[in-house]
Amino acid sequence: VKDVIIKPEAPNALLLDKHADYISAYGSKKDDYEYTLSEYLRMSGIYWGLTVMDLMAQLPRMNRQEIIDFIKACQHECGGVSASIGHDPHLLYTLSAVQILCLYDSVDAIDVDKVVEYIKGLQQEDGSFAGDKWGEIDTRFSFCAVATLALLGKMDTINVDKAVEFVLSCMNFDGGFGCRPGSESHAGQIYCCTGFLSLTGQLHQVNADLLGWWLCERQLPSGGLNGRPEKLPDVCYSWWVLASLKIIGRIHWIDKAKLRTFILACQDEETGGFADRPGDMVDPFHTLFGIAGLSLLGDEQIKPVNPVLCMPEDVLQRINLQPDLLS
Amino acid sequence: MKLYSLSILHKGATKANLLKAAYDLSSFSFFQRSSVQEFMTFTSALIVERTSQGSRASVKEQEYLCHVYVRNDSLGAVVIADNEYPQRVCFTLLDKVLDEFSRQVDSIDWPSGSPETINYKALDIHLSKYQNPREADAMTKVQAELDETKIILHNTMESLLERGEKLDDLVAKSEHLGNQSKAFYKTARKQN
Amino acid sequence: EEEVLVQRVVKDITNALKRNPSIDEIGVIPCPEARYNRSPIVLVENKLGVESWCVKFLLPYVHNKLLLYRQRKHWLDREALVDITCTVLLLNPDFTTAWNVRKELVQSGVLNPEKDLYLGQLALTKFPKSPETWIHRRWVLQQVLGQSSAGDRRRRQQQRDEADAERSQQLSEHLARTLHQEMKVCSDAACRYPSNYNAWSHRIWVLQHMARGNIKVFYDELSSMRLWVSMHVSDHSGFHYRQFLLKELVSELSQSTASSTSSPQHRSSSVSSSSPVPFHNHANGELSGGEGGEDEEERQLSFITVLQLFHQEMELISDLIQSFPGHETLWSHRRHVFFLWHQW
Ligand SMILES: CC(C)=CCC/C(C)=C/CC/C(C)=C/CC/C(C)=C/COP(=O)(O)OP(=O)(O)O
Repeated sequence: VKDVIIKPEAPNALLLDKHADYISAYGSKKDDYEYTLSEYLRMSGIYWGLTVMDLMAQLPRMNRQEIIDFIKACQHECGGVSASIGHDPHLLYTLSAVQILCLYDSVDAIDVDKVVEYIKGLQQEDGSFAGDKWGEIDTRFSFCAVATLALLGKMDTINVDKAVEFVLSCMNFDGGFGCRPGSESHAGQIYCCTGFLSLTGQLHQVNADLLGWWLCERQLPSGGLNGRPEKLPDVCYSWWVLASLKIIGRIHWIDKAKLRTFILACQDEETGGFADRPGDMVDPFHTLFGIAGLSLLGDEQIKPVNPVLCMPEDVLQRINLQPDLLS
Repeated sequence: MKLYSLSILHKGATKANLLKAAYDLSSFSFFQRSSVQEFMTFTSALIVERTSQGSRASVKEQEYLCHVYVRNDSLGAVVIADNEYPQRVCFTLLDKVLDEFSRQVDSIDWPSGSPETINYKALDIHLSKYQNPREADAMTKVQAELDETKIILHNTMESLLERGEKLDDLVAKSEHLGNQSKAFYKTARKQN
Repeated sequence: EEEVLVQRVVKDITNALKRNPSIDEIGVIPCPEARYNRSPIVLVENKLGVESWCVKFLLPYVHNKLLLYRQRKHWLDREALVDITCTVLLLNPDFTTAWNVRKELVQSGVLNPEKDLYLGQLALTKFPKSPETWIHRRWVLQQVLGQSSAGDRRRRQQQRDEADAERSQQLSEHLARTLHQEMKVCSDAACRYPSNYNAWSHRIWVLQHMARGNIKVFYDELSSMRLWVSMHVSDHSGFHYRQFLLKELVSELSQSTASSTSSPQHRSSSVSSSSPVPFHNHANGELSGGEGGEDEEERQLSFITVLQLFHQEMELISDLIQSFPGHETLWSHRRHVFFLWHQW
């Protein structure tokens, strides 16, 4: 079996302070080569960092005004938001920007009507969504579209029925979903599709037992979860799989204690932060999904996280958004 | 599934001595091949040094598996494979090459021989033939041929080391690893 | 001084690519320090390498230059744009905006789509999963398809003469070559990273868009995948691709026989099959098809063909499960084959 071995000396306690220090220092290394390399996804990077800080109740440590100004500067004429200044707008970063603005309770900092127009313009005849004006189709973008609209309370501006039809056409015989019709099931795409069906009130369309079975089979002897059969476990899949299980009401089908052990073992005791697997290099992406995963597992040192939007529940309560979950 | 290297070594009192090796590194990126090869040689020697006579072991190292057999006469062989390649077939292959080698090369030459001086040419052929275990006709014979010796499984290279010994130090000290390979080792370690 | 160095390196890269069209791999050479008076760009056996020490200067420089251009703060001519995006993308192929700049260059006719496919292919040798590289490829392929179907339409409106027929023949050969090349790019990437989701879902996309309804192409894919999956028994994506092929073949063969020979408009911009009976005289000998004559006879034949497909697949998977015990992928494939059979 492809898996990792957790060493006895691996961390087994949650190092919250270290993680908060790690995230708050991350943005100050702007001249780093690595920072340049990841600029193409900066907006999502900021969303990961801020969300994990908020889940740890440390949001005030981040520079709110600087971030809001940055987002403003990233909104384009067409309404879409880009990853960073000078980059092209895309649905992925439009969602991240709106998520950040919700954390800060300031969606009005950008032109919301234009965002809505942008998203509406990306819907295709078959109901699918292109990620940007160049036309790539993926169920990830269907999720980004409805998640953004749900956060803005503007779901009725698109053709929801058609959008649902397209996502359902990506369902496979194993109960999972892929990126397009005919594509292989993948835990990340399943998260997007179950999240999408939750936001559109269509969760009854999934075969929860069949899908739940596939999802809980992602757990390996180490306790970690992989994203597809015979792949290595990865902390980010503790989020994609666990959140999907939560959405379809089957989270009790996995061994929570073992998963917790795996997630904790992925912490770096020196630098703070989480890596994909024990001993690897940490990054903000895996740090968010490590913490968010622990929150779904019920850790009380962390704020409750919403499985559909990967945002603190208190934020969603404030904007009055409670996506459906199956029981 | 893939076999990357096959080597024959003599286990001396403290060091293992490489006698012959074959490599198939075509699946690695071109500019890494020489470093990968040095590491495979380094690892094979280390494993033979830490494996006692008359025993078989499989050592896991990331996505690789190193299978070793050291015979009672101190002749040893290591095959490095990926984790899809069936373990049983690897040990069949090790038995076979050791058997053949010891018939073709006089044991007097084992302790001091080197790849340049030893005249045994079949290693490359075996390595390429066994790439597809089903074509090597090994699958059917496996059950019958393998003796009863237990195979010890090590989950990491570290478990071969003695207390206080560190892989990083061994790498840093090694004379057989060039600077480029050492640099490669550093960058390859902590990333996904 | 740094600027001079970087500009020279960018030129060295472009020149190397221009002069050696057979470069088939890129890579970084671990090398912490510069060697005096030598270019950090190395070319050996058609592999293009960059010494690691210079990447740290090179990438931020070209990165910033491109972004300044995008913000209209700095002008770059078309040639410079082609060169700079090339360097940026070989080092950081998920930089979406750099691909978009190249899309604009393709649209304006400055950049040949084939060249762009080649750049992507090189980037994939170092970054075989890079989602943005795959996404860009699909866009470029659509341009290529669009051009050829526009050509098709024009021809259909005019009187068909001999020269036209020839041109159309050339076009479909061109598409067949592109398709073949694309399959090769996918296999290479699949070999470089196990269960490479993006490579395999791209391969599916290519068949869906360039070979729709073409049983021969699907059939050839199925046979050539046979050895590949036998040597990659834990590659779930590879097996999923096989399931996709089986499903498409079964559904094509089960449709009324008419579908395999008619509907040219449905196939206008994809690779057309070379013979009307698609699996006629198949080299592998796994299947044999007769000359189509009576409808009933053909229906019978299709029926038998489907049965054979299932039979051969069950044999393959039983054999693999026995030879390579303990693989979840193999069992899930077996389950899927049963499911397709049951559904049929
Ligand atoms: C609000 C949140 C949390 C997310 C926004 C919505 C998005 C974009 C979710 C992305 C989900 C995801 C991870 C999709 C999978 C993408 C994909 C097909 C990756 C292919 O990865 P592999 O080739 O399997 O790579 P690994 O082997 O590294 O897993």
